[in-house]
Amino acid sequence: MRHAARAALRPSAPPTRPLPPGSAVPRRSRRTAAGLVGAGLAVVLAVSACSPLPYEAPATAEPTVTEDAEQATATPADETPDGATACTTLEESRAGGGGSDADPASFPTGPTTATFAEDAIDPIADAPAPALPVTVESADGRDVEVTDVSRIIPVDLYGTLGEIVYSLGLGDNVVGRDLPTGFPEAADVPVVTGAGHQLDVEAILGLDPSVILTDATILTDDVRSQLEQSGVPVLYFDEARTLDGVDDRILAVATALGVPAEGEALVERTDRQICAALDAVPTDTGTPRVAFLYLRGANIKMLFGPGSGADDLVREIGGEDAGTAIGLDREYAPVTSEAIISAAPDAYLVMTDGLESMGGLDAMMAIPGLAQTPAGEDRRVVDMDGSRLLTFGPRTGATIAALVEAFYGVPAPELPAS
Amino acid sequence: MSAVTGPVRAQDDDPAPDDAHAPGSSTPGAPAPSTAGTPSTPGTPSTPGAPPAVGRARRRAARWLMAGLGVALVVLTVLSGMTGQVPVSPAEVLGSLAHHVGLDWGPMPSHPQGENALWVVRFPRVVLAIVVGAALACSGALMQGVFGNPLAEPGVIGVSSGAAVGACAVIVTAGALVPGTWVAAAAFVGGLVTTFVVYALARAGGRTEVVTLVLTGIAVNAFAGGLLAFFTFVADPAAREQIVFWQLGSLGGATWQSVAVVLPIAVVGVAGAMLVRRKMDLLALGERAAHHLGVDVERLRQLVIVLVALLVSAGTAFTGIIAFVGLVVPHLVRMVCGPSHRTLIPASVLGGAVVLLAADLLARNVVANVELPLGMITSLVGGPFFFYLLRRTRSRQGGWA
Repeated sequence: MRHAARAALRPSAPPTRPLPPGSAVPRRSRRTAAGLVGAGLAVVLAVSACSPLPYEAPATAEPTVTEDAEQATATPADETPDGATACTTLEESRAGGGGSDADPASFPTGPTTATFAEDAIDPIADAPAPALPVTVESADGRDVEVTDVSRIIPVDLYGTLGEIVYSLGLGDNVVGRDLPTGFPEAADVPVVTGAGHQLDVEAILGLDPSVILTDATILTDDVRSQLEQSGVPVLYFDEARTLDGVDDRILAVATALGVPAEGEALVERTDRQICAALDAVPTDTGTPRVAFLYLRGANIKMLFGPGSGADDLVREIGGEDAGTAIGLDREYAPVTSEAIISAAPDAYLVMTDGLESMGGLDAMMAIPGLAQTPAGEDRRVVDMDGSRLLTFGPRTGATIAALVEAFYGVPAPELPAS
Repeated sequence: MSAVTGPVRAQDDDPAPDDAHAPGSSTPGAPAPSTAGTPSTPGTPSTPGAPPAVGRARRRAARWLMAGLGVALVVLTVLSGMTGQVPVSPAEVLGSLAHHVGLDWGPMPSHPQGENALWVVRFPRVVLAIVVGAALACSGALMQGVFGNPLAEPGVIGVSSGAAVGACAVIVTAGALVPGTWVAAAAFVGGLVTTFVVYALARAGGRTEVVTLVLTGIAVNAFAGGLLAFFTFVADPAAREQIVFWQLGSLGGATWQSVAVVLPIAVVGVAGAMLVRRKMDLLALGERAAHHLGVDVERLRQLVIVLVALLVSAGTAFTGIIAFVGLVVPHLVRMVCGPSHRTLIPASVLGGAVVLLAADLLARNVVANVELPLGMITSLVGGPFFFYLLRRTRSRQGGWA
C-alpha cells in the first residue's frame, strides 16, 4: 500500500537511471575522448553510478550511501603537472592523502553562515577566440549547429550555465541572464526570466541572441517551441545538478561555444579546487546527519533527498544526508514534522533567504518538529546563499570549501587559482 | 425574485424520501408558496406541529447520528494520537497522557524525542484539526441556513478567498521577514472583511436574495482570484510557493499557540450558533413567517454573519484554505436527520471535526514522511462526494433548486 502510493507519486525516472551502476568507465579516459556525445554519455553514466539509487531501493537507502561512496573510489586522484591534485569525491581526496586534523569536539554547534570570500568570477581565459561553426547534440537529441557565439543567453534555474560561460572567459558575449547569475560581472546584463521561474520569450528575442543555452530546469514546452520556431539555435543541457555532472556540463558548454580547450582547462581547475576543498574535510567528521531543508513559511518544510545534489554535497563533506537516510525517494518532498523528528538530524542546512523568510533562527526553531532533534537542541544550523548552494558550476570548489568551513570550523581551505 | 429564497428552503426542509409528503408535489423549480403553503409540509421537524411520526424518526436518527459522530471523533482522536512517523506505541501514548495529568501509569515514550513528538507536534495538530473542522462545518451550516441556499459555503461565497487575499497580501508585501502570526492575522481580517462585504453587497432593499448572493459570491471570488493572481505574479519565487501552499491548506504548522488563538474564537462561534439555532429554524419558514413568529430577521442575519466571519477566519488563519468541509458536512448531516438546526448545528460541529481529523490523518500518513496538502484531500474526496449528493438528491426529490 505504502509502496504503491510512493510509486504513484514518484516523478518519472529519467531514462538514464536504469543503467547498471557498475558500467561507469574511468573518468579521465572519458574526458580526453570528450565530444559532446561522449560528454552526454558520461553524465548518464556518472549519474547512474553515483546517485544513491533512490529509484531502485528506497527502503534500504541508508547502507546504499556508503556503498556508493566506495564505488566512487574507482579512480585515484590525478596528479597534474604543477603538483596540485584534481578529484571530485571525498574518497579520491582521502586516497590522495587529503583530510585535515580537527577534533570533532571543536566543531561549531550553534548557527553558522557559510560565506564566500568573493562573489566575482575568475575567467580561465581572456575572451578566447571560438572555433566555429560547431555541430553538437543537444540534450533533447537534436543536432544543433552553432555558427555565432557573439550574443549568448545562458539561462537555467540555478545560474549554472551563466557561471560556466563567464568562467570560460566569454562573459562579454552574454546579452541576457537569469536571476542567480548575479555576480558582479553580470549584474548589468538584462534579466530574461519574467516573474520567477519563467522565460520571457519576447525579452529573449528582443536581445537578438545568436545562441541560447538552457535546460529543463527553467524551460516549459510552450517556451521551448516558441524559441525553436524563432530560428535561434537553442541548446539544452542535462538538467541534473549533481557533483558528478559538473565536469561534463562545463565541457558540453565549452564544446558548444567552440572553446573546448578552455573547457578542458576550466574542468582541470574546477576539479583541483574541489579537491582542495575536500582535502580540508576533517579526517574524523563524526558523520553528522544533515537535513537540507527548504523552508517557506511555517507550513512548508521541504526536505531534500537523493538525486537533489544536496545529498552529494552532504556526503562529500563527510556527512550523511537525512532525506536519504529516512528513505525519501524523491529529490525533495514536503515532509511532516514527525518525519524530521524521526530523522533526528545533527545539523540543518538551509538557504539564507529561506531562513530569513522564516524570520530568523528563533522563528525557524518554533516550527513544530525542528527544535525536537539533536540539530535543534544544539541549534546547529548552517545557512548558505541559495544561488550558490546547488549551482554545481565552475565555482563548486568554493561552495564545498564554504560548507566545510561552516560545518567543521576549520579555516577556509585555500583554493588553487589555476 | 424574492420567492426564490422560499422554494429552496422549503424543498430542502422536507426532502426525506420517507416523508409522508408526496414527492411529486414539489417539482423542480416549483414556486415557493405552493410548497411552503401545503398543509402536509412539516416545516421543520423541530416545529411542534410537525407530524409526530416523521419528527420522532428524525429525532431518533439525530440521536444515533450524534452518538455515532461522538464515537467516531473519540476513535479518530485516539487513532490520530497514536499514528505518526515517530514510533510511539499506543501504550506509551496513553502512559504519556496519564503522566501529564499526574497519574503514574503506563510506560513513557522510549524514543528520545517521543515525548516531544507527542506534545509539541502531534497533539496540537490533532486538537487544531478538531477545532478547525468543527468551525468550518459549523460556519457552513450557519451560512446555508441564513442564506437559505444549499450552495452557501465559505468557499463558494468567497470568504475563504478573501482570507487568502489577506494572507497573500502580507506574504508578498512583508517580503522575506513575514512571521507566521502576521499571515494568520491578515487571513483573519481578510475573511472578516470579505464576509461583511458579501453581506452588504448581497443585501438590497432589506432583502438577501439567493441569486444576488450567488452572483455576489461569484463576483467576490473572481475579484479575489484576480488579486491572488496579481500577488502570485509580483511575488518572488519563495513567496509564490508560500502562497500556493497556503491555498492548499495544511495543519503542519499547528502549535499550542495557534490552538490557543483559534480555540476560543471557535468556541464563541459555535456557542453563538447553538444559541441561534432555534431562530434559524424559524427563519427557514421564510422571512415573513419568521418575522410574524417574533424573530428579528435582520438582527439574526447580522449576528449569524458575525459568527460565520469569526468561525471561517479562525478556521483558515493558521491552516490556509481547506475546501469542501463547510459545504459537504452539513449536507451529510441533513441527509441523515433532516434540516432542523437543533441537530444540524451540533451534528455538523462533530461531523466537521471527524472529517478534518480523518483527512489530516491521511495527509500525514498515506505517504511515509511526506505531508500531503490537506485541501487536496478534502477536495479530492469532497468533490466527487458532492456530485454524488447532487445526483442522489435530484433522483429522489427533484433536486435542491
